Amino acid sequence: MVKKYALPVVLIALAFLFPLIDPLLEAVLGKSLLFSAIVIAVYVMLALGLNIVIGFAGLLDLGFVAFYALGAYVTGWLASSHFKQVSFSFLSAAPTETVSGNAVPGIHISFWIILVLAGAFTALCGIIIGAPTLRLRGDYLAIVTLGFGEIIPRFFQNGDDLGGFNLTNGTIGIKAIDSPGLPFLPDSLPAWQQFGTLNLNPWYYTILILVLITVYINIRLRDSRLGRAWISVREDETAAAAMGINPVTTKLWAYALGATFGGIAGAFYGAFIASIFPTSFSFNVSILVLCMVILGGMGNIYGVILGAIALQGLNFYLLPQINTWVHRIGDAVGSPLLSGADIPKYNFFIFGIILVLMMLLRPEGIIPNRQRQEELHSGDDDQSITDAARA
Amino acid sequence: MALLEVENMHSYYGNIHALRGVSLTVEEGEVVTLIGSNGAGKTTTLRSIHGVLPPKEGKVIFDGKEIQGTPAHDMISRGIAQSPEGRKIFSRMTVRENLEMGAYHRSDRDGIRTDMDRVFELFPRLQERIKQEAGTMSGGEQQMLAIGRALMSRPRLLLLDEPSMGLSPVLVERIFDIIREINAQGTTILLVEQNANVALEIATRGYVLETGAIVNSAPAAKLREDPKVREAYLGEI
Amino acid sequence: MDSIKGSSWQSRLAVVLIAILLVALLIQAVANPGQFVSQLLIGITNGAIIALVALGYTLVYGIIELINFAHGDNFMIGSFVGLTLLAGFGIFAPISGDSGTFIKILGVLLALVVAMVVCGFVNVAIERIAYKPLRNSPRLAVLITAIGMSFILQNIGLVWKGPAQVPFPELISSANIFPGDAIIFRWKDLFVIAATIPLLLGLSYFIKNTKQGKAMRAVAQDKEAAAMVGINVNRTISITFLLGGILAGASGVMFGLFNGITVFNVGFTQGLYAFTAAVLGGIGNLTGAVVGGFLIGIIGSMADQYIGVRWTAIVIFGVLVLVLVFRPRGLLGDRSAVQGGGE
Repeated sequence: MVKKYALPVVLIALAFLFPLIDPLLEAVLGKSLLFSAIVIAVYVMLALGLNIVIGFAGLLDLGFVAFYALGAYVTGWLASSHFKQVSFSFLSAAPTETVSGNAVPGIHISFWIILVLAGAFTALCGIIIGAPTLRLRGDYLAIVTLGFGEIIPRFFQNGDDLGGFNLTNGTIGIKAIDSPGLPFLPDSLPAWQQFGTLNLNPWYYTILILVLITVYINIRLRDSRLGRAWISVREDETAAAAMGINPVTTKLWAYALGATFGGIAGAFYGAFIASIFPTSFSFNVSILVLCMVILGGMGNIYGVILGAIALQGLNFYLLPQINTWVHRIGDAVGSPLLSGADIPKYNFFIFGIILVLMMLLRPEGIIPNRQRQEELHSGDDDQSITDAARA
Repeated sequence: MALLEVENMHSYYGNIHALRGVSLTVEEGEVVTLIGSNGAGKTTTLRSIHGVLPPKEGKVIFDGKEIQGTPAHDMISRGIAQSPEGRKIFSRMTVRENLEMGAYHRSDRDGIRTDMDRVFELFPRLQERIKQEAGTMSGGEQQMLAIGRALMSRPRLLLLDEPSMGLSPVLVERIFDIIREINAQGTTILLVEQNANVALEIATRGYVLETGAIVNSAPAAKLREDPKVREAYLGEI
Repeated sequence: MDSIKGSSWQSRLAVVLIAILLVALLIQAVANPGQFVSQLLIGITNGAIIALVALGYTLVYGIIELINFAHGDNFMIGSFVGLTLLAGFGIFAPISGDSGTFIKILGVLLALVVAMVVCGFVNVAIERIAYKPLRNSPRLAVLITAIGMSFILQNIGLVWKGPAQVPFPELISSANIFPGDAIIFRWKDLFVIAATIPLLLGLSYFIKNTKQGKAMRAVAQDKEAAAMVGINVNRTISITFLLGGILAGASGVMFGLFNGITVFNVGFTQGLYAFTAAVLGGIGNLTGAVVGGFLIGIIGSMADQYIGVRWTAIVIFGVLVLVLVFRPRGLLGDRSAVQGGGE
């Protein structure tokens, strides 16, 4: 029993202590890791959300970014001055009056309520998108989700003039999004009363708790009746249906739950970054998150977390580092090509290679889910014609 | 020298050891049948000989040459053709196109025409349906087409997998008459058949396969008399 | 029973909606026939380019049931190869709008042929490296490697020509063929149509009449039976990829010459348009891919004109989603995208 909980407890404790360690790291590395830790945590949450869809239910979703974008825009709509036509505040940490004493335009709802609303809204969107499409075969479903993943950000991009109504402010995006806060706290905790940009600890702890909740729900789902239904649908839909499991409903649950986490992560990200643009929600984000799930190990919660940390770590640290090295080599050799190279720009080259190599060499990921491993390798033997034709 | 000689052949489906050392011989001009219950490894034996499921161990010697490990698509030019289980015709091609595909590796137009005429002589029904899409024909007609397609390569050895499957008794009798006729015209036949009664009627010799291994072999007439065989495969108590 | 009932109200609704759209278009056509016809012609031209790429998707899907996600990026590679060739490699002077007519014709032909060859082999290489080892793996595993290959190709393009749009030399006149400007059909448009037709005829002849073409059809229908009659299944699959790549290469060069630009990520959108076309026509069906290509071209150009350029992508992706949801077989297809159906 002790052994089983030891590792998670240590990891969680480390995560909680990270803001204390960070200043030490800053002294060594020359920069704080807290900002990137928060972004990484957002991606961990996204990856865990997608893990429900891909890892548990076996549905390839290539448009996961759509839910992330929807969540972010929910924050944009409900916690900024975007809708100037109205003035409505509810439990928001943001000031309700301007300096001149007028009511602040726009909708300003408490961030904590928005998190719930965003989750509910994206779940609803997941159901609306999923209900008609989830009966499709796997590869077609992938393309339909990709279609939605492309339509939604493009819609946000064009949504500044919907018959005269400015829903999304087009390519400029929604700016000056309210910071969350806990206004009821005593004045001695100003950083917590209203989250700021100087002290990132409140942001960090918020997303950490969101991630822990996500992990907990992931574990509970995996071990639940629903979790077993997902496995059976993933392995053999017809057989599952014969056992009285409704495949479409089962898949819909996965899709909607995945969407919920994507939406909540998006809502947090919107508030954290404080301004959102449609171009932040491209197909690349869907692929990045997919890469995290596949690298870590589809269906394995630890694996997925590791995948997310590894790939965002690559984005944040390794690539800039390699870039510096390449520049130094370039300067030393006198090659303007190398010293002017922009390595981080090619990060998706690396992600592409990861996708191909993982599928060829270790489709079950770094930390495999046992059941998934068997499924991914069982196909190796059941046909023989290509063995014959291989010669 | 035997036309086909299989020595201690082992085959696997993944981790499942499907054939555990099958040995058999087929002499030129014979009809040899392989009988056994469902899952005994009859089809697997044919697939292994044919290279569709390459054996992991053992030898397949055809016409004096070792051919295990040769890919399936090269078997036809060596003189082995198969009419597979479940027919596996090209359902969206016409009868004529299917037969032409049977002669895919050949380029002697006149020879192909002669062989097609020979197939039509054996199966007049196919000539009536020559322009019909194969997938729209009845099961019996598809079986005829599968055998006809295999004959189009002018094989020295014809592997026949369950030619009677799913056919009415009358049709079974006709198909077996034709198989006898094909053999009489000079094609050696290795026949896998669930319906041991009919198979032993036309075969020269027979092998009994049980869980991946040969347990008995004898001239067909003798096998028909064998009380064990009668009990297990000929439906007698 | 449910699904039959369901599909009938859905198809009735679809018919009504399409009828409304057609009437709206007709009104526009009557109001300004010149503009409408010009737009239709542009649509057909764009459609030709899309159709050639769509054929690559449909050929590959027909034979190994894989959505070759990297196909659109191979199209991009085609346009880059053409562009690099026209720039002369330092071996000969860059071919530009000022070059002589003969040089221009030679340049265009050379660019087309080289791009076709290169893309053909790129496609074969992708299949060998990334798809063939996974022939017996779950379908989604192969789709994921295909996505990986797509990103690899895209980044090769990014390294090769940088992140910005790159201009193509103006080798074919943008002048209108018809006198006046009531109806616009440029020499460029004529070039695209004239280059597409022989490719389509050639492909059709190859599939219908050659031995290799018949082998492709046989492998598509039953791989084991194909091997039994002596067809080398792997080689046939390679040839299918070769054909798809050849068409994508030609299409890439035509796209560059026609639009005057290309960019490293052009294959993503164009590839999705082409995939939409393949699905609309019925994936696996060659005629369907061509019909779908022209339809998507026309839908795109109509959306450009009557809805607004910035909505075109949304309209086409909308078509993709609607077709997959309500008629996954497409207009002419016989394969079912719905689990348990077809096949």
